[in-house]
Amino acid sequence: MKESLMDVICCPLDKAPLELDVDDEDDEEVLAGTLTCTECGETYPIEDGIPNLLPPDMREEAAA
Amino acid sequence: MSGDGSGGGGGNGNGDGLAARRGVDDAVVYQPAEDSGLLAEAAVAEAHGCVLEVGTGSGWVAERIAEERGLDVVGTDLNPHAARQARERGVEAVVADLLSPFRADAFDTVCFNPPYLPTDPDNEWDDWMEHALSGGESGRELIEPFLADVGRALAPDGVVLLLVSSLTGYDEVLDLVDEAGFAAEPVVEESFPFETLTVLALRRA
Repeated sequence: MKESLMDVICCPLDKAPLELDVDDEDDEEVLAGTLTCTECGETYPIEDGIPNLLPPDMREEAAA
Repeated sequence: MSGDGSGGGGGNGNGDGLAARRGVDDAVVYQPAEDSGLLAEAAVAEAHGCVLEVGTGSGWVAERIAEERGLDVVGTDLNPHAARQARERGVEAVVADLLSPFRADAFDTVCFNPPYLPTDPDNEWDDWMEHALSGGESGRELIEPFLADVGRALAPDGVVLLLVSSLTGYDEVLDLVDEAGFAAEPVVEESFPFETLTVLALRRA
């Protein structure tokens, strides 16, 4: 994901802003990292350049 | 939408290599069909500003908008295999449930080709391809929550491009559009042997 995506995404649970922690990036985008809700503290992974912003209960279900 | 459900597959992606993974992705991701072509045609004509495609699937429609209009396009899907395919096409991909992780007024254009086939609850397949095709018993189970929330994520002068099949109930969808505070205008329409597909442009009434 490009860092500019931060301007449009929010926590799916309470719509609060997210904080980005980068674990791996290239010149253009973030490849791995964590998005943390500044309000409720829920975390969302970024893997292979794709943020998973499903609510936690749906994330478990979609893991198959 | 060709909903014979035979393309579902188990989708237990254990292949390590990219090629193996791509094979699995193809089996469990809805691939472009007539409805995709119609939505792309309407979206290329009507899109402006910052664009979101909900339920992007393979990312084909999002890619068309980005290439032909030079706009920034974000594509979401519930299905992580789909998000991966969309990303391989160069689409900014997000795994998401409809519009839930997007800020208020974030997008000028929102496109959606919803899973719309009415499905008997006793006859559901419960795999990724079903998620891509089935709109539940009414055919409108995803359209309802989408319309209820899209006004939040849409900028004040924004436009929603929604694909509707006659199988889903055109008048019932228009009622939902009205309830959500939008006015609908058909942009493109095409008839097929078993359904008529229409792309509606929705703007705040």
